[in-house]
Amino acid sequence: MNRIGKRYVPFMKAGVQTLIAYRLNFFGFVIGGLIYCIVMFYLWKAVYDSAGGDSFLGFTMTEMVVYLFLANTTTQLTYSTVSGDIGDEIKDGSISMRMIKPVDMDWSYLFTELGAAFMKVVVLLIPVTVGLEIYRYCMLGEVMFRPLNFLLYFLSVILAYIISFRVNLCFGFVAFYVKNLWGFNILKNSIINFLSGSLIPLAFMPDVMRTILEYMPFASMGYTPVMIYMGKYSAYETAFRLGIQIVWAAVMFGISKLIWIGAVKKLSVQGG
Amino acid sequence: MRRAWKIYRLLAAQNLKRLMEYKVDFLTGAVSFLIDQAVGIAFIFIIFTQIPQLSGFTFEQIVFIYGFSQIPKGIDHLLTDNLWCVGYFIVRQGGFDKYMTRPINPLFHVIAETFQVDAIGELVVGIALICYSAGSAGLYVTPLSVILTIVAVPFAALIYTSIKIATSAIAFWIKSSGFIIQMVYGMNEFAKYPTTIYSVPVRVFVTFMIPFALTGYYPVVYLLTGENPLLNTGIVVSVSIVFFILSLLIWNRGLSAYESAGA
Repeated sequence: MNRIGKRYVPFMKAGVQTLIAYRLNFFGFVIGGLIYCIVMFYLWKAVYDSAGGDSFLGFTMTEMVVYLFLANTTTQLTYSTVSGDIGDEIKDGSISMRMIKPVDMDWSYLFTELGAAFMKVVVLLIPVTVGLEIYRYCMLGEVMFRPLNFLLYFLSVILAYIISFRVNLCFGFVAFYVKNLWGFNILKNSIINFLSGSLIPLAFMPDVMRTILEYMPFASMGYTPVMIYMGKYSAYETAFRLGIQIVWAAVMFGISKLIWIGAVKKLSVQGG
Repeated sequence: MRRAWKIYRLLAAQNLKRLMEYKVDFLTGAVSFLIDQAVGIAFIFIIFTQIPQLSGFTFEQIVFIYGFSQIPKGIDHLLTDNLWCVGYFIVRQGGFDKYMTRPINPLFHVIAETFQVDAIGELVVGIALICYSAGSAGLYVTPLSVILTIVAVPFAALIYTSIKIATSAIAFWIKSSGFIIQMVYGMNEFAKYPTTIYSVPVRVFVTFMIPFALTGYYPVVYLLTGENPLLNTGIVVSVSIVFFILSLLIWNRGLSAYESAGA
């Protein structure tokens, strides 16, 4: 255990340092997310005004605001840049430097990201949660915060992150075939945003589509934790959804390993 | 002027050659932006399965505004994408010296250098949505309304360009301004929906401060409602000219403040 720590802690430190060095970029993305939430807030407000009733497809306006901000935050928390990182390293060949080190490839990426993830929890998740709880208190006149839900949410976010990391690892290997990583990244993000319910709650989608999407890995990457936080799931359903997350984490782990084995062969063809 | 056009053609030809080399690249880029837009429309569609009207606008009218807003965005994306690179890394890595040492206007050179075909995705979606919704959106089609709307398009695109010029120029002082471009450019989200859904302070902000409302909603108000023809297009034209002049001033001050990164 100690040896593992010694090996991977430097990667984690590097992750924190990178985030601090590029803090303005990080800040820019946070503000970008905030602007997006503001636009969507007004759009939803117009929707609720036009719809007339208190509730729209089972969500009150207050719930919708919580969903909007928390889904966005969760997406940021579980967002993994590993697909871009690995793509760049494959392109410029520096991945060979990573491969000759006595560390496991994916673990070194993972620890680099964990450093950044820790920072995100501090500067993003905590302020957003506090803000939302104050908002809910003002709107509803009672404290809605449930510590148990928050803990389960956090557990679910960790699982979501593991799935997201593995999915992005798989996408990263596409760099072998695609040169336009920038365009590809936009494609990937918009697909994930839609399928994971961070754009629009899956509960709003037609029944067949919703059922399918709820079982796909994308819902596990954003929708599940938010619904748990909001207390939309019963105890049984919460356990069931967490189970699905664990299954997907295991499956994506296997798939990314398999692709990597195949990709290494391709890499030697390129000559590194 | 003729010399500039000749240079532009030469640089664009280089770009097209690169494009032929990487056809898959072009497809990835265009398809990405296409899917990105399709997802946005799916979102609007799902909302409208539950409500007949949104703040007095029908589904077709919202789609029309959304589609229209993508066209100025796409035009700017097609022509001036290199400004992103100036902000993100060209200045920081010292690459801007290249533009300073050549006998061409640096801004013109930066812009002429890239022809970003990814933007085709946005343009195709925009035009398709307009064609789809125009018939049933209940538009006030007169020669004047059509002409005024078309006139507004290049000026709306110029608003995008001006904002990118001004924000990328900040890199001349602080070396890297990518995040500022990202932040300000991201506000174009506001352009996709009718400006009337926002509260008054937000409306003022997106009309006069970071005027993205002028790239989507205002140019089509006349087509949609038949009201205030000259006022709406007039605001778009005059604000975009003011912003363009301001952005050139910022750019030129930045150029004189530029000192090479000494890479």
